[in-house]
Amino acid sequence: MQISQIFRSSIGKKLLLAITGLSWAGFAVGHFIGNTTLLLKDPTPFNKYAHFLSGLGGALILVELILAASLLVHLFFAIKVTLENRKARPVKYAVSKSAGRESKKGFATSTMIYTGILLIIFLVLHITHFKFGAVYMTTVDGNQIRDLYKTVYEFYADPINTAYYVIMMILLGTHLSHGVWSAFQSLGLNGNRFTPFIYKVGFLVAVIVSVGFIAIPIYIHFTGGAV
Amino acid sequence: MEKLINLTLKIWRQKNAKSSGKMVEYHVKDVSTEMSFLEMLDVLNEDLSLKGDDPVEFDSDCREGICGTCGVVINGIAHGEQKATTVCQLHMRHFKDGETITIEPWRARAFPVIKDLVVDRKAFDRIMASGGYISIKTGSAAEANSILIPKEDSDLAMDMAACIGCGACVASCPNASASLFVGAKISQLSLLPQGKIEAKQRAENMVAQMDAEMFGACTNIQECEAVCPKEISISGIARMRREYFKAAVK
Amino acid sequence: MKLDSKIPDGPLTEKWDNHKEKIKLVNPKNKRKYTVLVVGTGLAGASAAASLAEMGYNVKSFCIQDSARRAHSIAAQGGINAAKNYPNDNDNIWRLFYDTIKGGDYRSREANVYRLAQVSNNIIDQATAQGVHFAREYGGNLANRSFGGAQVSRTFYARGQTGQQLLLGTYSSLMRQVKTGMVELFELREMLDLVVEDGKARGIIVRNLVTGEIERYAGHSVVLATGGYGTVFYLSTNAVNSNATAAWRTHKRGAGFANPCYTQIHPTCIPVSGDHQSKLTLMSESLRNDGRIWVSKKKGDKRAAKDIPEDERDYFLERKYPSFGNLVPRDVASRNAKEACDDGRGVGSTGLAVYLDFEEAIKTFGENVIRERYGNLFDMYEKITGENPYKVPMRIYPAVHYTMGGLWVDYNLMSTIPGLYVAGEANFSDHGANRLGASALMQGLADGYFVLPYTINDYLAGVDADELKTDTEQFKTVENEVVEKNKKLLSINGNKTIRTFHRELGHIMWENVGMARTEESLKKALVEIPKLREDFWQNVKVPGTGEELNKNLEMAGRVADLLELGELMARDALNRAESCGGHFRLESQTEEGEAKRDDENFSYAAVWEYKGEGKNPELHKEELVFENVKLTQRSYK
Repeated sequence: MQISQIFRSSIGKKLLLAITGLSWAGFAVGHFIGNTTLLLKDPTPFNKYAHFLSGLGGALILVELILAASLLVHLFFAIKVTLENRKARPVKYAVSKSAGRESKKGFATSTMIYTGILLIIFLVLHITHFKFGAVYMTTVDGNQIRDLYKTVYEFYADPINTAYYVIMMILLGTHLSHGVWSAFQSLGLNGNRFTPFIYKVGFLVAVIVSVGFIAIPIYIHFTGGAV
Repeated sequence: MEKLINLTLKIWRQKNAKSSGKMVEYHVKDVSTEMSFLEMLDVLNEDLSLKGDDPVEFDSDCREGICGTCGVVINGIAHGEQKATTVCQLHMRHFKDGETITIEPWRARAFPVIKDLVVDRKAFDRIMASGGYISIKTGSAAEANSILIPKEDSDLAMDMAACIGCGACVASCPNASASLFVGAKISQLSLLPQGKIEAKQRAENMVAQMDAEMFGACTNIQECEAVCPKEISISGIARMRREYFKAAVK
Repeated sequence: MKLDSKIPDGPLTEKWDNHKEKIKLVNPKNKRKYTVLVVGTGLAGASAAASLAEMGYNVKSFCIQDSARRAHSIAAQGGINAAKNYPNDNDNIWRLFYDTIKGGDYRSREANVYRLAQVSNNIIDQATAQGVHFAREYGGNLANRSFGGAQVSRTFYARGQTGQQLLLGTYSSLMRQVKTGMVELFELREMLDLVVEDGKARGIIVRNLVTGEIERYAGHSVVLATGGYGTVFYLSTNAVNSNATAAWRTHKRGAGFANPCYTQIHPTCIPVSGDHQSKLTLMSESLRNDGRIWVSKKKGDKRAAKDIPEDERDYFLERKYPSFGNLVPRDVASRNAKEACDDGRGVGSTGLAVYLDFEEAIKTFGENVIRERYGNLFDMYEKITGENPYKVPMRIYPAVHYTMGGLWVDYNLMSTIPGLYVAGEANFSDHGANRLGASALMQGLADGYFVLPYTINDYLAGVDADELKTDTEQFKTVENEVVEKNKKLLSINGNKTIRTFHRELGHIMWENVGMARTEESLKKALVEIPKLREDFWQNVKVPGTGEELNKNLEMAGRVADLLELGELMARDALNRAESCGGHFRLESQTEEGEAKRDDENFSYAAVWEYKGEGKNPELHKEELVFENVKLTQRSYK
């Protein structure tokens, strides 16, 4: 078998979706941990963290490129697989239900493509809002660095922005609740002990990341929106 | 205890593969709760044929849940709501008087409808022909006990070998994927020393055939496992993927 | 019709080897020039088709199912016998042979049965190599269990799905040959007639069950592996599509039908729940190891089981057979259950069942032990009946399970029509008047893997590998007859459904040609069946057309044939004025109520020759010669 052939197969496409999806899930977790510094009253730790990241230079660009490529691959194959899967059942059922039991059929599994596409739009806006958003400067340890803390606090002062973020983070949680464990299954990693474990881990990641990402804007909105 | 119930049935009627079908409503009276679902359809067909109407064609053979011939989607669930049960083993005591039951054929591009509730599942056979075997000629087998297999592996392989090829996995999968069927066979054979020899070739060929038949890709929803009359686990799908990756990097 | 059994010379143990040495061979280059048609894809058919293809013959394989994997061999639960002697309990080929011939009540050929025992071990090797999942010990080697009262553990099993696993093994070999192109597989095709040219089997006429087209296929030899005729009883453990059409129509083309009256009835089936019943489900006989069988002592007792006090219960098997009790052989248990029901003491709403009670076993061993032993069966029972057998006694009733009779074949498995071979349950060869547990799978695979692929060479080596033509006069004539018959069925347009007739035939058969037969009942059947047949051809309603998928038309043709076969069964049973194995004539029993053979007058296979419509068939006899075993009378008191 040619290596390229694998990525034309149903299994290979899902392999790519798994790898790229996991890289983004990993990024989301890291991003969330970094962002917890936003909950501090003191803007310095967050601004230092942001400054540190942007100071990585080439390494940062490399990570960004990898993530961007992952995202494009994820998007491309997700759309491809979804369209192919729709073609696999040209006549729909008049009535369709889940048998329950082991089945994970539900809102999350049937909306992966929609939550995914909405999340990508969100991502573009997210970068526009912050990375390329309003620039304020502040002085930390005698150095002029960007006051991203202020940008964030200013942004969430607006209730519409906050509400929009909350909704998007619910979608992220939904996407991850199926995505994480599913990625491991797509990688062929399944075992009597491992699978229930990774299913719980996936669910937990989804809950922590989404609840955490929701908590930050809400906290900012209600406590520090006036900054 | 036996009770008699009345039911409304909404059944997919389709003259042949070329024509388009539609749902048709039927009322059946005095259905014994002791009947199996297919016996209920038998009785409906008796009535229809005496009235001069075309009976509803549906597949069935052994009527004891092992041949894999029968299968319809009942109220949106392949083989109906009961756990580990084929339609022929589903009994009417699980339905209520006055209930409306929707009955549809397996729906998948790879399983075209032949007539009414009967579909063509030859795609499964073509997948099996592409590698679902151990290449051994009659007469060339070694003494049976010269192949030792750990009981654990043998039991696990047997779990996978229990597949009856009914197609409920495809029917229930939102993607009409055949991964559970193919995964079960690839897993069963790759767990056995006899089957390991051809494992890579088998995984490659069977997956290629599965894709060529235009089944969907598995997105790990696990509905297949929930409806599988033999309760085959999606661990078989994961094992198929591992075998496939091994074949890819060899 | 001349019957030449072609049993090879020499001592019993050397016959098969001697014979194989003398079988003619076909040059590998020439094999490609021959085409063999194999009808049926059960254990016998699929194994034969795969083996012949591996040898280099062109094979065309046909089945009525939508996939070759669904043949009814798949439903066999218990296991498969072989004389491997793995448990070291001094089993050997001779013992397996002896048990089989004795179990068949000395109504089978010694040479055939010995060969069956000889090749049994190869079957286990072959199946294991294919990846068939026989149960294993912790050390990794194969496990055995004792089955059906055998004194040795020689049964290999795959949970309760031995038939399924073996069939999937043969199916995989078959599909491998489909891939190589040596086998061309025709699913959803029903063989409706045999074409005989110049006295030799030359082809078949089949109906494409999807399009309704009638198709012709020619071959240098035809193999029938189309199963038994249990559906003549309407309700049986057979699949609803199991039928005798291929065998019966072949019989009408000149193949002798042997011992049609030999049918086997299984005692532990789930009883009928009403007129709607379409089939019966068997539960493993092992249930009788711990369950106690009883009915009320009173007739028409409508009380629930728990309300019948101990002293008002009749444990009739324990009472009548104190030493074997509930473990008497299948036929004895079945007959006694039916007698109790006919006496008005049957249980349940239909009165056609007896209790199989686990209360005492549960008290003695605890529910957990019983669950471990029979959990699957109890679940299956509950699924079908909606009753919990841990709480209320199971209800069981006997059901037709297997037919030992079938098309007559010689030692080579060739029928009385040259070039026509018959394998598996469709032939009459190895089980005599009664089949032992775990022997059906063994015989099907023995025929298909290890007998027929050798013996068929002998025939093919003697015929020209001439070009096969299907546009001959004979093909046209036979096809025309098939078309006319279907047209006629569709044109009657009467007022009774096919199922009505089938159910009625089953009723006549069960009551008169069932597990206890008398001269009177058989004569009655011989009057009633032709009457029913006439009614059928006047009043049956076959909906739909012939040019589409029409299961009613398929069924109508099958029932029409069963209406003829049933009569032959009654005739054969009437002729055999003795009891043997599954054939029990009330006039011929020992004081203990056991089947009493009449070796002096009936030590033969009764082979019937079809003489044309409205004419009585002619009986031919193949005398059975026993040189190696002493004929004994069984006793279970």
